[in-house]
Amino acid sequence: MATTITIDPITRIEGHLEIEVTIDDVNRQQQIVDAKSGGTMFRGFEIILAGRDPRDAAQYTQRICGVCPVSHALAACLNLDNAFGIAPPDNGRILRNLVLGANFIQSHILHFYHLSVLDYVDTTGLLDMSPWTPRYVTADMATGSTASTLVGNYVAALAMRRKSHQMGAVFGGKLPCTGSFVVGGCTEVVTAEKVADFRSLLTELRSFIDNTYLSDASTLASLFPSYYTLGVGSGNLLAFGVFDLDGSGTHKLLDGGRYTDGAPAAFNPAEITEYVTHSWYTPECGNKHPSVGETVPDPDKADAYTWLKAPRYLNKVHELGPLARMWVNGEYTNGISAMDRIVARAQETKKIADAMDGWLDELVPGAPVYQQSTIPEQATGVGLTEAPRGGLGHWMDIDNSVITRYQVITPTAWNASPRDHLEQMGPVEAALVGVPVADLNQPVEVLRVVHSFDPCLACAVHMVRPGDRARGTKVLIHPGIA
Amino acid sequence: MRISRRGFLKAAATAAASGKLTPAALCKLGDALRAEGGPRVIWLQGAGCDGCAISFLNSIHYATVDDLLVNTLDVEFQSNLQAVAGDLAVSAAEAAGAVPGYVLVVEGSIPTGASGRYSYLWPGMTTHDGLLAFEQNAGFILALGACASYGGTSAGAPNPTEAKGVGEILGSDPRLINLPGCPSHPDWLVGTIVYLITNGHVPPLDAHRRPLQFFSERIHDNCFKRRKYCGDPIFADHLSDVGCMELLGCKGKHTHSDCPIRKWNSDAAGEYGVNWCIGARSPCLGCVNPDFPDGMSPFYEYLPEPDKGGRMKPED
Repeated sequence: MATTITIDPITRIEGHLEIEVTIDDVNRQQQIVDAKSGGTMFRGFEIILAGRDPRDAAQYTQRICGVCPVSHALAACLNLDNAFGIAPPDNGRILRNLVLGANFIQSHILHFYHLSVLDYVDTTGLLDMSPWTPRYVTADMATGSTASTLVGNYVAALAMRRKSHQMGAVFGGKLPCTGSFVVGGCTEVVTAEKVADFRSLLTELRSFIDNTYLSDASTLASLFPSYYTLGVGSGNLLAFGVFDLDGSGTHKLLDGGRYTDGAPAAFNPAEITEYVTHSWYTPECGNKHPSVGETVPDPDKADAYTWLKAPRYLNKVHELGPLARMWVNGEYTNGISAMDRIVARAQETKKIADAMDGWLDELVPGAPVYQQSTIPEQATGVGLTEAPRGGLGHWMDIDNSVITRYQVITPTAWNASPRDHLEQMGPVEAALVGVPVADLNQPVEVLRVVHSFDPCLACAVHMVRPGDRARGTKVLIHPGIA
Repeated sequence: MRISRRGFLKAAATAAASGKLTPAALCKLGDALRAEGGPRVIWLQGAGCDGCAISFLNSIHYATVDDLLVNTLDVEFQSNLQAVAGDLAVSAAEAAGAVPGYVLVVEGSIPTGASGRYSYLWPGMTTHDGLLAFEQNAGFILALGACASYGGTSAGAPNPTEAKGVGEILGSDPRLINLPGCPSHPDWLVGTIVYLITNGHVPPLDAHRRPLQFFSERIHDNCFKRRKYCGDPIFADHLSDVGCMELLGCKGKHTHSDCPIRKWNSDAAGEYGVNWCIGARSPCLGCVNPDFPDGMSPFYEYLPEPDKGGRMKPED
């Protein structure tokens, strides 16, 4: 008999996420047969941005997300550079890459150790205090010396992610939320002393990545081989590309691209469309490119269950993130699954950190970092880049020198999207189907799959959960007969 | 189970040596920490970005976050770090909330539009209802960051969700301490907790309920850019130039915080940070002000001080 459980809050993520799964016996195994994901918080950033000075977009949009503010700052700056018709000097481009890289390292370390590892480790006797108690203890969890090593590195990684932010602040001013990203480049200047400060921290972080993070990811992969076949999802991958290696905007450390129906293909941002069939928006908001996107709520819409729109690429469901980036660049080919996401993320951390050392050599102390510009009377812009958890797009219209339209599509909007006009499930929903759940009271399998996407719900700006939900519900994983 | 409090005491001693904690305060701190059970913390997140939680993870000046979590605080509910999800996480929060005397940390704004339904803590519990439930047994209430303090960016015009700060919901509550900033500095949170442990009462506050310890001095008065060119003022023509950035939109003259001294992203106990916004030649956004962001933007435009009735001269 099918049972539906709702897990809310999904903890150890950024933002507010609710997952509902239906579990039934399939071939004598209790597994997920249906899944829905929804967000529970809405702020309306796109509405707040309208009417503002375009230059302020990089500061406002950073406040969408405290984990990946630098990615929003960069998407906004690329958007503004595009609309203003200017390009930053090489130093400015490289500084943007370095601060973004510092935040990627911070985010990936945070994700592995502090958001994910507890799904796989029995911490009894190791972390016996709140907020790590109460805890899940399942038969397949790592124990003994492996658990002890991973918990020890959980603590060490807290210092490492702090140092990543310290490194980013050398050129970013402070983190989270950098002040130095502006249209036309960066404000912080390049000095030999700052380069040395940055490199010293980077060297320490690279050592941690090489000697600890990569090996802990391998350990997890060898202990949980079944997760190489679980949490597959749509099987289609999409990357926008990130870390410009020259001023052309076409040569990147991680290029954009896609992998659709088992074959590589080119990425053309014009082929993105958002659908609202199962989202609380009027039908007119659907079937639109984000550059002309609209957001008109309709909370009473039949058959809708989320305020997240469903972005699709040529009608196909695509997953975004480190695995997609590494895959379309030929850097990772093992497979698409929950564990592949974790391993590809660790390998990407090394690739970025190693490249950053070379970028430091390209900086020219004293050379310009910033190009002055003026606000255009009328313009449109687009800024495409990557957040740690996947491709990020900002689109804007400027009229009378103020923002008249600002649209953001975040990676979690793709990954946690609902069913679309063709009834295709979103990537997280699809990845959950077929996952066995041994104990309904300890649904760690659900958390492992959901966490593998590194969801960031505050980022998914369209999301609301306004439904008239029952007050006073005490049992939140509530087995109910479906 | 508490492993050791030595690390926290050591960090506090270093901080005391650097003038942030008096020896008398340190004695009190030692007594407080030797007593059984550290301060209990319930940390709720409303409509925000979790950036203040991430900033808290950068704590090291007074104590590192692992030292705080393992040795000093009982963080009984914090969604980013909580081991369990769903009903177990909610019952942990509810059990903690039933025992009076905890420190309630609120991060993010409180949407009040649509009966609060723009932000849920968990099924059936809007952030607004959650605040009203958990404030009842709180010993102290810390509104962390611009959003929780005064609404912040989440309440930016036209404020689509009618978001408010904690003080707007609770009114004049003697337990409330605002720790604004976008994000808030980890030292402002941890330093305030240290004060609460050692003194047992709310620290001296300004009119906006911000601790004077961190928010009493005007940024412009301590700014190296101004000091350096005092007497022969140089104003930056463009971003990234040398000189005072007031004409480029810097809000340091209208903003009180210890950013110029404390700086951000410190690397060691007792040490100040490696950089800050103005240090990176970008203008102060005025993010600790009650009218951030609307009253502080356009961020890159010189704004006249509203209560002075017009465009001010660049100099004092």
